[in-house]
Amino acid sequence: MERIRHTSAEYERELQEIKDGLLYLGALTEKALEQGSRALLDRDSELARKIMAEDDQVDRIDVEIEEKCIRLLALRQPAARDLRFITTAIKITGHLERIGDMAANIAEKILILNGLPQIKPYMDLPRMFEGVRGMIRQSLDAMVYEDVARAQRVREEDTVIDRLNDQIFRELLTFMLEDPHKIPVSLYVMQISKSLERIADHAEGIADMVVYMITGKSVRHKAGAEKR
Amino acid sequence: MRGRLFGRLAVAFVAVGVLVVALAGLLVERQLRTGLTAWIAAELVAKAEIIAQMPAARIGSQAPLLAKSAGARLTLIDAAGRVTADTDIGALNEGIENHLHRSEVQEARLRGRGTAIRYSQTEKMNFLYAAIPLAEGGYVRLARPLKEATGSIDEIRLPLFWDLVLVVCLVLVLALFFTFRAVSPIGRLAAFTDRIRQGDLTGMIRVESRGEIGRLAANINGIIAVLQEKIRAADEKRRQLESVFAGMSEGLVVLDAAGRIETVNRGMAALLSGCCGEAVGKTLLEALRSTPLHDAWEAFRRTGETTCLEIGLSGERALVLDVTISAVPGGSDRERKTLLVFHDVTRLKQLERVRTDFVANVTHEIRTPLTAIIGFVETLLQGAAADPERARAFLETIQANAQRLNRLVDDLLILSGFELGEMTLSPEAVDLAGALDQALAVVSPAAVRKGVRIVKDLPAVPPVRADRDRLAQVLLNVLDNAVKFTPTGGTVTLAAAAEGGGVTLRVSDTGQGIPRNEIPRLGERFYRADKARSRELGGTGLGLSIVKHLMKAHGGTLAIDSALGQGTTVSLRFPLWEAAP
Repeated sequence: MERIRHTSAEYERELQEIKDGLLYLGALTEKALEQGSRALLDRDSELARKIMAEDDQVDRIDVEIEEKCIRLLALRQPAARDLRFITTAIKITGHLERIGDMAANIAEKILILNGLPQIKPYMDLPRMFEGVRGMIRQSLDAMVYEDVARAQRVREEDTVIDRLNDQIFRELLTFMLEDPHKIPVSLYVMQISKSLERIADHAEGIADMVVYMITGKSVRHKAGAEKR
Repeated sequence: MRGRLFGRLAVAFVAVGVLVVALAGLLVERQLRTGLTAWIAAELVAKAEIIAQMPAARIGSQAPLLAKSAGARLTLIDAAGRVTADTDIGALNEGIENHLHRSEVQEARLRGRGTAIRYSQTEKMNFLYAAIPLAEGGYVRLARPLKEATGSIDEIRLPLFWDLVLVVCLVLVLALFFTFRAVSPIGRLAAFTDRIRQGDLTGMIRVESRGEIGRLAANINGIIAVLQEKIRAADEKRRQLESVFAGMSEGLVVLDAAGRIETVNRGMAALLSGCCGEAVGKTLLEALRSTPLHDAWEAFRRTGETTCLEIGLSGERALVLDVTISAVPGGSDRERKTLLVFHDVTRLKQLERVRTDFVANVTHEIRTPLTAIIGFVETLLQGAAADPERARAFLETIQANAQRLNRLVDDLLILSGFELGEMTLSPEAVDLAGALDQALAVVSPAAVRKGVRIVKDLPAVPPVRADRDRLAQVLLNVLDNAVKFTPTGGTVTLAAAAEGGGVTLRVSDTGQGIPRNEIPRLGERFYRADKARSRELGGTGLGLSIVKHLMKAHGGTLAIDSALGQGTTVSLRFPLWEAAP
């Protein structure tokens, strides 16, 4: 696709900075989730603490991106495509920042879980981590390659995550009913699962924003009704 | 185009020709006119001189006759200038002017003869006058119209003109012909160099003429040859570089001055598996979502120092890449390009991890029994030796641990023997069923004790090619594992089948199974799927590793199929005895 040349190379660079910032945030959150999965499986508390500490960087970059966007709106008064890009960038950075926060929350729960005995090997949770990371990557890929089809696939993946969440819920419910001692661990695992499900929703939100960025059409709330 | 030069010359020649004709014509005519006039004047003078010999009276009376024979008008003038006779004027009258001051008369008076050309009012034309003084005074003058003289010139003017034109045309034709001969090579040279300018470097030009044009042509041919050689050399160089660039297994990426990807080689495309057609024009961060890489690139941009780092890429395959960031030499400051070289060190890292794990495990495996031995020895030395029963118990524990250490060392030696290629086998034709029975003899008691059933499903199979002792080792190990990891009430099934050029023995258990993602690592030394449980059950952790190597040494294969909660099947494939190596 033709890259639109702006009259000012400076302006072009500013837009690219925002885009790069979003990708940077995306990479950081992906890494946080990857590390989270490992911290869970290896019962690595050191790693969990590291994840929590690095959320500061995510917050900082989110603020930076937002400031850059607002500055561009004020100074350049963009129109059409650029305007869409900048306004959706503000929303996307919001999603990514929430994802980062939730990844840190998950790490906190993992810390707690590491102090409790494991009741079963983690099979679905790692799959959820993997799936959610894929969703973030795909939605940002869709932005980079201006590929609406990729953004579509992200929405489909969200259904898978929802189902996994339900599955974990049912399984843990059974555990809790048969043995009350398993309740604390189960509750924390369920919280992690729920956080991952909400992260998936945020990733879907990013994909929707990307579709709007590319096409100018909003697909946000329509599909929500379909799902129900 | 030949036209321009030749046309210009042709026009020049024609102009010159016309000029020549005009000038020559004019000059010749003037020359003729002057000459002819002078000749006629001379003739007139001569005639006048003859007439002047006669006395004036005679001249007067014979005037008409004399005039006729002279073919001119005769005028007799007295010394005072009065006209005494004139053949063209009928009767003398007072009206005739005094002729004394006519220039021919004056000249005759001074020099003895006089000529003049004058426009006559009466006759309305130019006349030629010649006057001669008479001996007794007075003058005789003859006059003729100039037209008579110049008439002949007028007659020859037109023929002369056409003659000249003819001559000039002939000359022009010759001139144009020779000019054409000289100029046409230039035209061909011009056309030839036109083609060269369009990029067509083939062919040479041939020019027959020697001299400057010939030299020009020869030089052009020479220049073309030099150019072609240079182009060929540059092409060759470029192709070499391209094939190096394309053929390198390392990934190469060139970024332009703005940080966008300019070129990507095949090695990089292989690393990124498939997204590379689209990577050109994107920034580093867009193509590879690696924050450490982006940070390193920013640092490089600031400092210009070549940077090396290791990054991990997640995606369909998790990769570890060694990246070197450096500047592309050449180019101005504004055009500074960056080169990134990517080495795939995933396998290296994996091996490193295996090694680290191995060392950690060996240390642990050795330390555990050693600690026990040292502990118990110390306790004995501190006085427990005094109590014989306790002393005996402690010594037995020390012995057990020492034997465990021994077995460990034995297994390690066997394994290193494999790796150093020192393993020697003595293959024979072995009957699998018989070998299995022998192994079962060792394993059955433990199975019975544990309450694990062993089921045999062994049809007749051809003999296999194996070293009898090693085979025993393999079977023992596999059966032992099967029984160990099957809970009470479970079953171990032995099945054999001749298939695929060999005999495959399948040992299945109904134990807890192994997670799918751990199966590839089972052959590693000391690798245990469920760490806590496995150590509990004894064993050195090297068994499967040894089995794997032994099977490979026999030319067979080991395969493990399992899933969590679904038991495990170990498949051992042995080559047939007849199969020649």
